[in-house]
Amino acid sequence: MVERQSPLEPEYYPGSHGNFEHGVDVILSETRPGSILQLAAWPGEEKRLMSAIYKATGLALPDGAGGGVTDGARSAFGFAPGKFTVVDEAEGLAAAFSGVVTPAIGTVTDLSHGRTAMRIAGPKAEWVLAKFFAIDFALPAFPIGAGRSTTHHDVFAQIQRTGADQFDIYVFRSFARSFWKALCHASEEVGYEVQ
Amino acid sequence: MSPRRTETGGRIDRLRTIRFTFDGTPYTGYAGDTLASALLANGVTLFGRSFKYHRPRGVLTAGVEEPNALVTVLRGEVREPNIAATMVEIYDGLVAVSQNRFPSLAWDVNAINQLGGKILSAGFYYKTFMGPVIGPLKGTRFWMFCEHFIRRAAGLGRAGTAADPERYERMNAFCDVLVVGSGPAGLMAARAAADQGQRVILCELEPHFGGSANWSGETIDGTPVADWAARAVGQLEGHDNVRLLPRTTVWGYYDGNTLAALERVTDHKEAPAKGEPRHRYWAIRAKSVVLATGSFERPLVFPGNDRPCVMLAHAAERYANEFGVLPGDRIALFTNNDSAYRSALALKSAGAAIVAIIDVRQDLSSEMRKLATDAEAEILSGHAVVSTEGGKALSGLKVQRFDMVSGALTGDARSIHADCLLMSGGWSPTIHLASQAGARAEWDAARQAFLPPKPTQKWVGAGAFIGSFSTAEAIAEGRAAGLSAAGATGAPTALPVVDAAPGDPDPAPVFEIKAKGKSFVDFQHDVTAEDVRLAHREGFVSVEHLKRYTTLGMATDQGKSSNVPGLAIMAEALGKPIPEVGTTRFRPPYSAVSIGSLAAERFGDLKPERLTPMHDWHIANGATMYSAGLWYRPMIYGLAGETIEQAYVREAKATRDSAGIVDVSTLGKIAVQGPDAAELLDRVYTNMFSTLAVGKARYGLMLREDGLAFDDGTTWRLGEQNFLMTTTTANASKVMQHLEYFLDVIWPELKVTVTSVTDEWAGAAIGGPKARAILAACVKGTAVDNVTLPFMGIVHGKIADVPVMICRLSFSGEMAFEVYSGAGYGTHVWEALIEAGKPFGLVTYGLEALGTMRIEKGHVTGAEIDGRTTARDLHLDWMLSKKKPFIGSAMMDREGLIAPDRLQLVGLVSLDNRPLNGGAHIVEELDEANPHGSIGHITACCYSPALGKHIALALVSGGKARHGTRAFVSDPLRNRFGPIEIVSNHFYDPDGSRMHG
Repeated sequence: MVERQSPLEPEYYPGSHGNFEHGVDVILSETRPGSILQLAAWPGEEKRLMSAIYKATGLALPDGAGGGVTDGARSAFGFAPGKFTVVDEAEGLAAAFSGVVTPAIGTVTDLSHGRTAMRIAGPKAEWVLAKFFAIDFALPAFPIGAGRSTTHHDVFAQIQRTGADQFDIYVFRSFARSFWKALCHASEEVGYEVQ
Repeated sequence: MSPRRTETGGRIDRLRTIRFTFDGTPYTGYAGDTLASALLANGVTLFGRSFKYHRPRGVLTAGVEEPNALVTVLRGEVREPNIAATMVEIYDGLVAVSQNRFPSLAWDVNAINQLGGKILSAGFYYKTFMGPVIGPLKGTRFWMFCEHFIRRAAGLGRAGTAADPERYERMNAFCDVLVVGSGPAGLMAARAAADQGQRVILCELEPHFGGSANWSGETIDGTPVADWAARAVGQLEGHDNVRLLPRTTVWGYYDGNTLAALERVTDHKEAPAKGEPRHRYWAIRAKSVVLATGSFERPLVFPGNDRPCVMLAHAAERYANEFGVLPGDRIALFTNNDSAYRSALALKSAGAAIVAIIDVRQDLSSEMRKLATDAEAEILSGHAVVSTEGGKALSGLKVQRFDMVSGALTGDARSIHADCLLMSGGWSPTIHLASQAGARAEWDAARQAFLPPKPTQKWVGAGAFIGSFSTAEAIAEGRAAGLSAAGATGAPTALPVVDAAPGDPDPAPVFEIKAKGKSFVDFQHDVTAEDVRLAHREGFVSVEHLKRYTTLGMATDQGKSSNVPGLAIMAEALGKPIPEVGTTRFRPPYSAVSIGSLAAERFGDLKPERLTPMHDWHIANGATMYSAGLWYRPMIYGLAGETIEQAYVREAKATRDSAGIVDVSTLGKIAVQGPDAAELLDRVYTNMFSTLAVGKARYGLMLREDGLAFDDGTTWRLGEQNFLMTTTTANASKVMQHLEYFLDVIWPELKVTVTSVTDEWAGAAIGGPKARAILAACVKGTAVDNVTLPFMGIVHGKIADVPVMICRLSFSGEMAFEVYSGAGYGTHVWEALIEAGKPFGLVTYGLEALGTMRIEKGHVTGAEIDGRTTARDLHLDWMLSKKKPFIGSAMMDREGLIAPDRLQLVGLVSLDNRPLNGGAHIVEELDEANPHGSIGHITACCYSPALGKHIALALVSGGKARHGTRAFVSDPLRNRFGPIEIVSNHFYDPDGSRMHG
């Protein structure tokens, strides 16, 4: 099995960095999921698509814009009207949808290579992300599981909150190294560890 | 330790001595001092020179509104000019220098400007440089001659040229209630809102929260108000729902309750911690805002009011109470209101002698008389200061009897010996943010001040900001404002009891004492009362014109202390009441904002860049990269000693001789999926796609709605309802937006999704006579022969155990294939192809060779699809389907778009064997001295290794009709003239035999 190459490799330095003399306040990592899919429902077919997602992954998406859910290994969230990102640690998730999302419901697009997933976790995760995005990261406004679509310096990003102080960020692969460097740079102030 | 420091008192830390320099002289101060308080404590009275007249100036205020004491702070090679000394917190090693003086602050040769008073009045530049003729110099030429000297003589600090190594950041914040200002009103508002469970942000521009509580000397419930404020801050710090931002100036109020703030994070530190930014620009989105920004004390306008040691009354009180510094030993006060009496008492308590209180009002309340008596001050009611004496410090002043109704001065002038004169001309609420957010300010005749307008956005005001100048009012209004902002009413509660000096908040309506001498209105821009009257005499009746003609209020302090006196003087000159004259609208920023904070980190290494999956391989293998938009792509893979031209010629020639491989991952790729995908493609492309078989690709052309060419590329049918569209690299996002727009707005009934999959795929184009053999050597699971993989055919297989998708298409004119793999496998597949190609002489080639071969083949790119050309201009009319409508079809046959003399694509060959240049014009007559008669221009050029000639593509009037004719290239900017032949754009393999094999 050929291993996928990470776009972050030359800039991925495990260990503590920045102002960490008093400890690190965020932990950065690349989650490297095996599957990243984008699912889109035709107007009026959103519920059927959500049912299909449940059928294929066991993830029950809540109603409402940006609603999402994660069970640790798999995650799903809405990022636009009728559109969802579904992620799995394992490869091959697209195949699980092949008979479930029919042409009458919508489409499935495999972006497993096209997006890079980074995780920021820790007490200062919200603080660091506030440097990048005009998004309210407070827990009541951005609950666990929920997703948001936004941009940073021309870089389109989808963000899912996967813990009280943990966020997974999906960016285009070609921008990923640039974004990672910026994320590390922004985290220097609070001290960060790359895992 | 110093001549002006009091023995006790102030909130400075007397156990921590700070060492700094001003104009090279070493001084000491205490932690908690500002540069202004520390210099005052050291007996320094001269802080700077004025803008125009170079008059000696001291410190006027104790805060952000300071117009006089502007300094330049040096950090290494970086100099930051025009910083108010009142806002600089001292730290060990601080280096500050004075400005606008030569050779020194004490002895400034340009002080001679003071003698040119009337010449240098308002409108000096207009009058001096618009008309007069002096010898050969007249009008603007005279200005240009003088400009150098004037700019040296007038102005503020000098900006540095060294790169600023500091770090700046942008922060986004959201809250329920933003409280601006942390005086008693702001603290109460923040607490009330926080107690309601609201998310609160409290911004304070000073280093310490508390505002006037830090220096007013009042008590609350028997304890100093400063202690009360400290307790309130402590309580707020204990709230998880409160964010406290000291040293943070809210400088802009924008639509949607979005406010901009600047946090000065490390200006007060010797060195920042690792990763710590110097400034943070906060973009704060607040559901509601409490404005508790307080008020500014106004100067009085009288001759000599700008002399060093003439200061605002509250500023002196603040220096005494907050910093333990007395601005003088023998202090006189000049006032039109009651607040100065409290200041007198505070300074007396701090150890100064109050020699006199000069009050323009004849009738004083018994409370004020008692305060004056307590301060052991002589009361001179119904008097005014008519002049001040001294040089670089005050030595005395003269007063005269004054009738505040008529403004008349009577009787003999009396001299008073004093080393400090404090003035108070009333208070102006700090309404800047409210003004930015909404309507015109409203004049309050009682307060003699502009009060904030009615809110047009969701804000509520409290305290001095709305003209309630007492601490008790601030506390009550602050709580009410906090509750209101939180959408709560709150139960009645016992408010803290304030013990404060009595006083009427309303001043006498006196702004100016008209006596002989320069009376300054705008200290920073050296605008005098006479300048304002001169503007009136010269016809500038509008307040907006007054402002621009005199530059009143246009300095870096934005007229915080000068606007109202200036308006009052103008109103009197016009014979109108102040509200009829009106006021100017405040604009952001409230105070100076660093450009760095606005740029934040969008520069240098932190600019986003796009890298292909094989980027690191290219670098490691000698590629010279250059940027194509945000992408980085190989230009050449140069060998030692090769020039760029030698490298691309070698790469292109080797490709045509054997095979070459190029990274095409940057091509835009869009997944077009759904039952109506083919229908969408038929509508957006000029040619038909619904007839395309699965497993085949087709070259497509898109037009804009106006009928002009938009983009081209191949689209691959991967399934019945599944297409992979490719676009040019540059137009990928434009095409995506184009498709999304039509799907969302024009044809929402089409069941199609479009998804950017540019980054999903790594792409390698391999072309040349040996290309097929190379693929055959490494591809498993499929044949690549002509039957299995015909021109525009698609196959799926594996290379080095990785799934790949191969399409046979060509951009070079050679038989070529595009090999797509998952981006994460891109380098792996690329290396496998390179390895497989070694026996066949495969070379890597960059964009220069790619461009060369496409010019030789005559393919168009963005250089030709430039937004002005049509399909016919580019000889792509064969792609315009007559069987269906498509975007642009309704407009493409307009008369102007089918005219025979339009610029059309041709090829050019240089006949003098010299290079051609992009952008050069084509002319029919060679007239180097007078180039004229352009018939077109070159869009792309190269040396063609295949032809051994310098060739180009060009857009030339008449196009094909000129094939075989001769003309000239005319490029006067690059001094290139010479003969060319106009030929077909298909220089190479015109019949496609090499491409089709």
